[in-house]
Amino acid sequence: MRITPPNSERSGHKVGRGRGALILTLTCGMLLGGCAERTQPAQFFALSPESSANRAMQTRLFETGNDHELLSASAASLQDLGFQIEESVREVGLLRAAKERSAREYGQYRNRFLIWLVSLGHLVIPIDLHQKIAATIVIRPTNQGDTRREVRIMFYRVIWKGDGQADRNYIPPGEQKMEMVRDPEIYQQFFAKLSKAVFLEPHSI
Amino acid sequence: MNRIQVIGAVGIIAGAVMLQGCVAPEPRQELFAPTDAQMKIRSAQSRTFEVADSAVAMRGVIAALQDLGFIIERANAPLGLVTAARFAEPNYYDVLGVTVTVRPQESGKTMIRANAIYNSKPIEDPKVYQNFFAAVERSLFLVKE
Repeated sequence: MRITPPNSERSGHKVGRGRGALILTLTCGMLLGGCAERTQPAQFFALSPESSANRAMQTRLFETGNDHELLSASAASLQDLGFQIEESVREVGLLRAAKERSAREYGQYRNRFLIWLVSLGHLVIPIDLHQKIAATIVIRPTNQGDTRREVRIMFYRVIWKGDGQADRNYIPPGEQKMEMVRDPEIYQQFFAKLSKAVFLEPHSI
Repeated sequence: MNRIQVIGAVGIIAGAVMLQGCVAPEPRQELFAPTDAQMKIRSAQSRTFEVADSAVAMRGVIAALQDLGFIIERANAPLGLVTAARFAEPNYYDVLGVTVTVRPQESGKTMIRANAIYNSKPIEDPKVYQNFFAAVERSLFLVKE
């Protein structure tokens, strides 16, 4: 990205303006980033086109009538993955678990440095410091004969950012970002572990 | 005579002014009393389903919430209570919360009531609840299969 023309004979005044334009562009970019269209509440309660794909990714069927065993095996599988069980309700087959980990990544430091360099030391973007990965499992019977169980797990992350600097404004740490985990591999991993624990073959829906 | 009349008039006026303070205050609108608007929201938030078993209804509610992308946070089977939340994707800073109560009615029916909040502000748009109950209906139908 080059804002100033490459000819060598420029006055310092012009350089200053080029820098100003750069900072302005970056700031505008950041501000526009916040202008993502807001979804209306009514839309959150309507089924989205991708909801069936998510459901397929998050759900497996097991041929068993034993709720209890499936639930305790799920808890064990989550423990194997390093989760702490936070809540369990046996009657509706609910488990909620979470683990906290560092969210620091090498790439982020590199990007932060590059942006700092490009903005000539005016912009220090906050990086992800800490994250909480949480999982919710619901197990329910799916047929009248009571021989099949549906296991649905949902993973999500909450990330806390560190501090940063935008020109002369300090960005305080602790900004939160939340996202659902949509990586199918993570779900496959969990179900592979669970099926080993209950000695049952999982079926996709 | 004239003087006495003046004193009397002044006395009456003064008395009236003093008595003014003794009028019972206008009853203020009670903060916790139900208003028409509240009743309307309440009827939008509740719906009765032809399901005899409230446990089945509760599982249906949970499945519907999950289909809608909600994370189940809490559930209490004996009380028929479900609390769930979701992020207002693609805007990851807003949170949508919902509390659902499932109560068995007489004559083999179940009443489901939902309260939704958007960033801790109650949602009063009936369309939201219509959409929610449509999802519950769909999921109850799937459970019955």
